[in-house]
Amino acid sequence: MAFYDDIFNIFGLRDWCNEKTSDVPMSMSELLAKTRGESVTASAEVFPFPSLDNLNKACSAMPRTREMTAGVEDGFLNIKDSLKVVLDPITQPLSWFLDGALYVFTSIPWFILIPMLILSAWYVSRSLSVTILVAFTFLGFGFIDHLNVAIQTLSIVFVCSTICVLFGVPIAILMSKSNAFERVTIPILDLLQTLPSFVYLIPLIFLFSITESKLYGIAIILYAIVPVIRLTNLGIRLVDKDVIEAANAFGMSNRQKLLGVEIPLALPNIMAGINQTIMMSLSMVVIASLVSAPGLGVLVLRGIRNLELGVGLIAGLGIVLLAVVLDRTSKGALTRINKSQHQDK
Amino acid sequence: MNTTIKHMAIAGIFFLSTSSYAACGKVTITEMNWASASVVTEVAKFLMEEGYGCDVTKVPSASVPALASVAETGEPDILTELWVSGTPSFNELEAAGKVTALTAVLSDGGVEGWWIPQYTVDAHPELATLEGVLANPDLLDGLFHQCPEGWYCKTINSNLMTASGFVEAGFEVFEHGSGETMATSIAAAFANNDPWLGYYWAPTSILGKYPMQMVDLGEFDADAHTCNTKSDCAAPKVSPYPSSRVITAVTSKFAANNPEVTELMKNLSFTNRQMGEVLAWKEDNNASGEEAAVYFLNSNKEVWASWLNDDARSKLSALLQ
Repeated sequence: MAFYDDIFNIFGLRDWCNEKTSDVPMSMSELLAKTRGESVTASAEVFPFPSLDNLNKACSAMPRTREMTAGVEDGFLNIKDSLKVVLDPITQPLSWFLDGALYVFTSIPWFILIPMLILSAWYVSRSLSVTILVAFTFLGFGFIDHLNVAIQTLSIVFVCSTICVLFGVPIAILMSKSNAFERVTIPILDLLQTLPSFVYLIPLIFLFSITESKLYGIAIILYAIVPVIRLTNLGIRLVDKDVIEAANAFGMSNRQKLLGVEIPLALPNIMAGINQTIMMSLSMVVIASLVSAPGLGVLVLRGIRNLELGVGLIAGLGIVLLAVVLDRTSKGALTRINKSQHQDK
Repeated sequence: MNTTIKHMAIAGIFFLSTSSYAACGKVTITEMNWASASVVTEVAKFLMEEGYGCDVTKVPSASVPALASVAETGEPDILTELWVSGTPSFNELEAAGKVTALTAVLSDGGVEGWWIPQYTVDAHPELATLEGVLANPDLLDGLFHQCPEGWYCKTINSNLMTASGFVEAGFEVFEHGSGETMATSIAAAFANNDPWLGYYWAPTSILGKYPMQMVDLGEFDADAHTCNTKSDCAAPKVSPYPSSRVITAVTSKFAANNPEVTELMKNLSFTNRQMGEVLAWKEDNNASGEEAAVYFLNSNKEVWASWLNDDARSKLSALLQ
């Protein structure tokens, strides 16, 4: 005799309920009650919450919670073929970019690669201290035989951050122009930042081949695209109203206003967003390695699994060092932009 | 002052040890993060609590971290479903007298090897042997699902593949990032009726749910296998995995203090058939490990009754009737 029996009887649903006999597995508490010779109902709650499981006790035709979750799974498996037709070709270029960048970066010999990295650090930041830091970092990686894995991680971060910026900035511009679009996008951004990656990565394995590098690419991009969108949107919205008014007075078209006034003035914010996006893609490398991304993350996992503490610590510190280098370089670029803007004024 | 504290401490230790003799007291037991282990742990927890009056705490763990924890802190007390073949540190701990191996908790041992879905083998019976697999890479998508970095099976698989000329035969080796993606790739292959070739082990809920056949790797050769476990093996030879020892171990301190419970854990052992049946039921009913343990306790009363001592059997008599 379950608590909600009467409710089903009052509404005349008893016949419907009895159409299906459910065989609910015995729970541990029922077994304990049986062992101790107590009756099960005596230990039941006085007024149980009308949850699916409790309603199922009164009426076997009601689905239980686990049947609900199993239903979600079946629903996904049913639509997976049509999802695959749509999603597989759209995301395929991501695999090409990731594999291509990995191939290019890892096949350049070190004596070309390291000077190239140092030069690009100088070009981006124009700061001597940052350039020296970059030089020491990569020479250090080479010295402890970690250059190859570090470069793999770097190339993944490079591809993913570039794609984040390419997609993030236009989305953010749309957001800054349309309040309705912003209202829709912000909850999605919140979701992307909090949804645990494995929750959507495991279903994706049913859609794509497990060998595709886009699996980890998607995991990184979905997480790292958020800051560049948020900060670009904010930057454009924060542009001084008086400046916009002046631009209007000059009779600038919307396109001219966007490219000539708003984006240049929002540039410090956009650069801060890009900086955060790079940092976040780097923070995903260990999780990405759980879906077979190469690089330093693999060594971290090996260190954890085999308790090779040294391997794990060195690889972990390597990730930190890469983060510092990327952060200083992109911040260097940010300061340069700030300086040039102040000179303009 | 100092001596009073010492006396109190000694009295406290004495009190604790006597009380644990009398009523078992607090016990910590590992709950490994795979399906069969959670059934073992739940069954053991139930029997210890209801039959022996223990206060049991489950510690979520896996083989390597559990052993590291025992080595450093002497906790948890009971390690169960420990796959010893993958954890050489166990032998060191046993030699140092920190842990005692009690019994093979899966009495048939764990089965490891290379598996192919049953439907693929049914369609192409030649794939049941290594020669057949090597001759037909295109029937298997030319892909071998390799263990993640840090799993001991990765080394063994690499040596086996070197020995048998896997890459030369046209196979690509895909290294997984985690056990979760391995399991999902099997499930995805079954959802699409695709072929699959790779390493897996039993008893697991995956192999309980998805019928697969093990590839015949020929006769077991102990020397060849020992060499294959080393990453610097000079001359790898093909040899199948031996059935691996899956044991329950307790810390030596616990064994000395709780002889009764240690005796129970020594008796607690499942055949692969029993465990396979429980895991299959668990999959069919979307049940939790706890419910699977209840299912086992209800359907195999004579099995676990024989594990208990007389006192515990009388305490659990209500259930045994």
